[in-house]
Amino acid sequence: MFEEASEVFDNMFKSSFPLTFIVFIPAVLILVSPLPAEAAHEFTVYRMQQYDLQGQPYGTRNAILNTEARTVEAEVLSRRCVIMRLAEFSYEEYQKALRQSAGAVVIILPKNMSAMPQDIVQQFMELEPEMLATETVVPVYFAMEDDELLSIYTQTLTSSSSQGSLSAAEVLLHTATANGFQMVTSGAQSKAISDWAITSLEGRLAGVGGEDLPTIVVVAHYDSFGVAPWLSYGADSNGSGVSMLLELARLFSKLYTYKRTHAGYNLLFFVSGGGKFNYQGTKRWLEDNLDHTDSSLLQDNVAFVLCLDTLGNGDTMHLHVSKPPKEGSPQFTLLKELELVSENQFPDVKFSMVHKKINLADDMLAWEHERFGIRRLPAFTLSHLASHRLAQRASIMDARSVSPSSRHGAGEPPAGPHVDVQKLSRNTKLVAEALARVIYNLTEKGAPGDLQIFTEQMPRAAQLVDKDSSVVSTLEYHMGHYLKDVKRHYVRADKRDPEFVFYDQLKQTMNAYRVKPAIFDLLLAVCISAYLGVMYLAIQELSHCAVE
Amino acid sequence: MTLFHFGNCFALAYFPYFITYKCSGLSEYNAFWRCVQAGATYLFVQLCKMLFLATFFPTWEGGAGVYDFVGEFMKSTVDMADLLGLHLVMSRNAGKGEYKIMVAAMGWATAELVMSRCLPLWVGARGIEFDWKYIQMSFDSNISLVHYIAMAAVVWMFTRYDLPKSFRLPVTVLLALCVYKAFLMELFVNIFLLGSWTVLLVKGVLTGAISLCSLFLFVTLVHSN
Repeated sequence: MFEEASEVFDNMFKSSFPLTFIVFIPAVLILVSPLPAEAAHEFTVYRMQQYDLQGQPYGTRNAILNTEARTVEAEVLSRRCVIMRLAEFSYEEYQKALRQSAGAVVIILPKNMSAMPQDIVQQFMELEPEMLATETVVPVYFAMEDDELLSIYTQTLTSSSSQGSLSAAEVLLHTATANGFQMVTSGAQSKAISDWAITSLEGRLAGVGGEDLPTIVVVAHYDSFGVAPWLSYGADSNGSGVSMLLELARLFSKLYTYKRTHAGYNLLFFVSGGGKFNYQGTKRWLEDNLDHTDSSLLQDNVAFVLCLDTLGNGDTMHLHVSKPPKEGSPQFTLLKELELVSENQFPDVKFSMVHKKINLADDMLAWEHERFGIRRLPAFTLSHLASHRLAQRASIMDARSVSPSSRHGAGEPPAGPHVDVQKLSRNTKLVAEALARVIYNLTEKGAPGDLQIFTEQMPRAAQLVDKDSSVVSTLEYHMGHYLKDVKRHYVRADKRDPEFVFYDQLKQTMNAYRVKPAIFDLLLAVCISAYLGVMYLAIQELSHCAVE
Repeated sequence: MTLFHFGNCFALAYFPYFITYKCSGLSEYNAFWRCVQAGATYLFVQLCKMLFLATFFPTWEGGAGVYDFVGEFMKSTVDMADLLGLHLVMSRNAGKGEYKIMVAAMGWATAELVMSRCLPLWVGARGIEFDWKYIQMSFDSNISLVHYIAMAAVVWMFTRYDLPKSFRLPVTVLLALCVYKAFLMELFVNIFLLGSWTVLLVKGVLTGAISLCSLFLFVTLVHSN
């Protein structure tokens, strides 16, 4: 047959030359074409943080994956992708996966976080900083659960957990026919983002009456932090702080438009970026204003700096100071007014002052006011949290705001940190009241109006908010409504000794392909050869019969 | 894994053709070129069928889940062109009945294999994702081979002038079955909602039945002469 075939091809070549091209070029093209792959399931995964702060690397270093899936019950975890569910997450198993140098860890988060029990949420929140503290080569991904992912998980679970408990023959059969899953991420290895600009915004309201007026600065950082940047919404920390700042801006801009209520204080509002990364925005802003310009509001007469951080919940309010205020100073006046207002008008709020000295030997500064304190500006931070180390300040669980109308009846509040709109509104009234008393020396009440809850629409991790982001432009727009001279301020890391380095590839698409083990192919080949052999014999028989 | 899997599927699909070619004695008759011609006729007939279907049959506008019996029946009727094509091929070849049948059937089936199964196998079986449908496709090509041999035999018998009267009816019935086999399979799938392996089994049984009947009739006819 091959001689005839070659004869035919010879004829084809000799007779019609173009025809051969028409036959062969498509064949060649098909042979070298790239392979479009269809996956059993394609889903988005969010990678754990990866950043360097002051030269120290944190988080996971790797971003590519092309390995088989297993669950923790399997014996061998090295170079496999370990899938876990949040409901069954335990830190020991996570560490076991890391120790055996697994290919990756994928943690499946449930769609409906508010249905999770409180203790699991709390435990996970406390584990987040520990997971980030150890720098690891194993990429850790978070994925939102859907039905297909759940079915992939249960299938992997049954195949992983049955590995150790069957007889040898069953194991052999099982490995030959099992339905495995290959997890492949799209995208390249992660690399440092060069020249990332952290944006901060400032705006002012000028006081009336002369040149040398005292200035009150109100500061809040708008970025959020969590174990995965794309999942950090930061509702309470620090969406609540930014909402309160914008509300104060609105109130005082209204008051300052009328001559009767135009006070003799300059108000400077600063929305800083990079807050969770040791307050980079504030640090550079201070340097620029105090060292590099000749005259700025910050250089002259600063009454005090009020930083707002995490005020959307709770029934306590703490004023964190690095030095207790001296009698007769504006800071002391504010402290007194806060105490008075909370006692008289908001008895359900417990107010207290917390004194913590600035410790320059720590890696990270505790609160934002410490940046100002280092530059000898009187500052304090208001927060409903008693300590800066609490896990609620840096968790992906902090993602929702709850208002009483959204809870049908008096249901259970959702687990985990969240913003309670009622409490945020009450806290804002308290702060506005106290501030107004200091500024006016009289009791002037402002109407709070609608609070913008600046929270769960978009993740606001510092690595994701670049200078063209909608977060920044929305903030700029609203500030422009109420304040004058709204300016942007950029922080870029130093080239030679960068204070912070961010990495990309934080959101990737992962494909799960259904695969069979290699032995299966061999088994199939054996079966097919047997089938063909039988067929050959049968046809031989048939042709012999036909001949006779 | 994947190229090996492609090799498995390809072997499963193609080797029976190879074996049939070898063992039916066609190689002694230098029939390769004639098979290629039969294949070209297949292509031509498929093209005509497609043009005909596209021009004269409106698209089905009913609901998604409802199966258009009448429409599909009409479309299957167009498959009569296959019979005409086979007849054309066989009439152009001189020689014994068996030779004509085998040449026509081999060429036709090989062309169908190359056109409708090689490309999906190449693109799909090589991928990282595993699916049983490629093995099923290869089995299906084996079944098609038997089916086309049976169809060619029935067409040849139908056009014989010395066909006994008693054979007319069975031959016509078999002919109709061959043409509407695809339609019947679709019907079964829609009514009984069969799984893919069951479908393959049913197809195999049906083709086996048709081919056995036609073989029986053929042998009787040839031996009676």
